[in-house]
Amino acid sequence: MPVKKIGITALVPPELIFSCGVTPFDVNNVIPASRKYPGNKLCAWTAIWKDMLVKKEIEVDSLVVVAGGDCHNALVDGQKAAMSGIPTHFFFYPFDGDPEYLGSQLHRLSLFLGGIKSPEKFKEIGELKKQGQLLDKKRCSGKLSSSEAFRILISFSDLAGDLAGFSRIISDLQEKDIEVRNRVALIGVPPIFHDFHETAQSLDLQIVFDELPYEFIRHGGSNIQEIAVNYCGYTFARPLEFRIDFLKNELKRRRVDGVIHYTQFACHHMLEDEVLREKLDYPMLTIQGDLPGNTPQQVKLRLEAFREMLDRQ
Amino acid sequence: MIGLDVGSTAAKMVWIESGGLKFRITSTHNWKELVEGIDGDEIISTGYFRNSVPHRASLTELTAAIYGVRHYFPDAEVIVDIGGQDTKVIDVRNNNFIINDKCSAGTGAFLEFVANYFKIELNELGSMHAMAKRIPDINNTCGVFALSEMISQLVGGYSKEEVIAGMHYAFARRISYMIPQAHKVVLIGGTVKNEGMVAALRDVLNIDVLIPDEPQIINALGALKYYS
Repeated sequence: MPVKKIGITALVPPELIFSCGVTPFDVNNVIPASRKYPGNKLCAWTAIWKDMLVKKEIEVDSLVVVAGGDCHNALVDGQKAAMSGIPTHFFFYPFDGDPEYLGSQLHRLSLFLGGIKSPEKFKEIGELKKQGQLLDKKRCSGKLSSSEAFRILISFSDLAGDLAGFSRIISDLQEKDIEVRNRVALIGVPPIFHDFHETAQSLDLQIVFDELPYEFIRHGGSNIQEIAVNYCGYTFARPLEFRIDFLKNELKRRRVDGVIHYTQFACHHMLEDEVLREKLDYPMLTIQGDLPGNTPQQVKLRLEAFREMLDRQ
Repeated sequence: MIGLDVGSTAAKMVWIESGGLKFRITSTHNWKELVEGIDGDEIISTGYFRNSVPHRASLTELTAAIYGVRHYFPDAEVIVDIGGQDTKVIDVRNNNFIINDKCSAGTGAFLEFVANYFKIELNELGSMHAMAKRIPDINNTCGVFALSEMISQLVGGYSKEEVIAGMHYAFARRISYMIPQAHKVVLIGGTVKNEGMVAALRDVLNIDVLIPDEPQIINALGALKYYS
């Protein structure tokens, strides 16, 4: 009997999903290259995965929608997907970081997924995440390009649905020797443009920090209780000040020269821009994306002007 | 060496001759006429098509604007570049910039739209504005909806001159949201030649905005200065 494929709409501890004997599939990962233009949308990310799920262009056995503590549009688009007949579970992170609450959410999720059958997966994924952290360090020192690092780190949300295969992909990466100038942090949700990192790199901007993908590799644990405590630190689900404190440390640690804040059209995270600009003491470029595809010329102009600005500093 | 700014609607070329600043301007599709006989190695390009024309080096129009404006106003704090297809606001004090290139309501295209509606030349808008006795209140959020408001005001008894002045104010309000508080704000770009729009912007911002003699060539000059 084939292993069940579980669609996830944002960060859902993959440790728990794999340990329940099913495989996660992050429905966002197909969007940047999809060239889909949804008819009725606020945020294109949620609207596209909703459309693709309803039309069975993404086939999953069931769906876990992160509806609390991250993406607010997902709550509605997730219900639309559920109404199309996909068995759907709604998962909520606690805003206040209460591990007991998150523990109860994780227990409910494990029941939805059929219960824990392979507890050894917790440790196996923990080892993979250590490798992910090593890759993240390598790209900070120019031993890995930012586009390669992003491609791997963003895939840690579902580990490509294949732990052994994903481990091989990591092992096959070749070290580089890249001169790291114009060290830039990319904060916010990931850009919807599939070539964003390559574009930034071609304009001599080296992305040394991807905020959301970093969340995918820094939480873990060996059982539900441990991951409940650990995933309470998932910054996107917590108050803005919690996230800003975390960002300040990361930006300092990675010695960034500037920050790019990517905002998605009609996403509530856009509202955070002015606070981030005020609280993070770095040159900051805010860009906005809407539909998937190549990085548009207007965004390239902003990136190039930002690079010139960093050069002047 | 020459500075060449090939923007969305006009191409501008600047060079220094006998110690004086010289320039030529043409429409973008005729940009080749400007550089006829000039080696690409002599050209520092900027503007939307900076990488599509021969050049020794290129830079974005945002950086070019800073260098060009400094030639006239070394202590400029904010630069507002109102182009044909977008408007850029550069805060020189903290190296910050914002660009409106999604909505025509705050760009030169909006005023072109108004001139086309009245079947007049773009450069006539300023003198017509000066003849207005009253300023009708026109929606300042959308260029398309502003047209229906403009017609309503004409039907309601406002003169053509007054409606044009109202459109200038709508334009100015739209731009003003992008401009941070500052004492020295410099306007550049072809649209700045429209005195009616400038008067409306001065009124809305309530400061005496500064304008170089030839606001349309500033980015080409900046390109030249940047590599000089």
